Amino acid sequence: MIDEAFMPFREIVERMLAFENEFVDEEAGVHTYVYECEIESPVELDVARDEEGTLHIGSTPPLYYERTSFLPSFHRLRFTAEINRGDDGD
Amino acid sequence: MATENTAWALEDFVDSLVVELDKTRETLAVKAINKPLSYTVKEVALDLNIFPTYDGDQVTFVTAQPGQEGASKVSIQLGSITDQQVRATSKTPGAKDDINLDEIDLDKGTKKKLRKLGVNSVDDLKQIEQKNIDIKKVSDNSIDYTQLANQIRKTKRDQSPPKVRAVSLSRGEDDRPYLVIEGENLAVDPKFPPVAVINQTLAEVMSSSDKRVKIQLTRDHDFSHQNELVLTFDPFAVVKVNVKA
Repeated sequence: MIDEAFMPFREIVERMLAFENEFVDEEAGVHTYVYECEIESPVELDVARDEEGTLHIGSTPPLYYERTSFLPSFHRLRFTAEINRGDDGD
Repeated sequence: MATENTAWALEDFVDSLVVELDKTRETLAVKAINKPLSYTVKEVALDLNIFPTYDGDQVTFVTAQPGQEGASKVSIQLGSITDQQVRATSKTPGAKDDINLDEIDLDKGTKKKLRKLGVNSVDDLKQIEQKNIDIKKVSDNSIDYTQLANQIRKTKRDQSPPKVRAVSLSRGEDDRPYLVIEGENLAVDPKFPPVAVINQTLAEVMSSSDKRVKIQLTRDHDFSHQNELVLTFDPFAVVKVNVKA
């Protein structure tokens, strides 16, 4: 199974998108929001196979920032996310 | 830290990645119900540091681990794709009775050669036949088509074997006795008329269908209290029945 220091790949994407994206200035009457973002980050991966043979992709942002004798292998994740505008084109 | 990384085929990795991204989309869609300014993931790219290996059959990859240098790079990009594009680039799903190559008792080498030609199922093979392509020629005479066709027929037959439900004795208008064998999937191939042997003597098959077979009885068959009936419906379906009179 995936190493406990890693999380399923979907979580890393969800967590990277879990930021406050709405900025409201009541006094100035300005409402601003981030409608699209592109995130690029180094990630560590742990690819494991379960008993049924299904592949599971575990991932985490870099765990250590200090240069050590053993450097983790940093893969690169890039994704674009846009505001879900719904069916009414809001 | 992570334990030893598993070797994976690109297809498996992309499958798992797509499953993960589908789950992400589902979670974000649920989140969007209460939080209108939620995101949808449009495109994802992964640059992987990997070590490829080839076992003579398949290329697999192992993701580089801490301290490992000299890895190759593989970039996987997943973009949004419309339903129309999916239809244009995907093969029509196999029919209900389609047989996957894995289900056919073929040697590994033939399976490998067929896969290289893009043949993964019996339906794929039919498509090639319909386009008048000689598979023997395109495989440099390495695929024995007759053997392949026989194996496919055998596999198909194994999936719908003959089932004898009842055997009865009747008399015709000429008062000559005959046996009636009833069941399912009996004589299904019109190219092969069934052959019947009663008590080790050949018998005439009067009529046959997938549900019923009639066999003429004569004195030569020595029909008595205990009888042995062997019915060959086709080269892949032979049934032996003990008939008590």
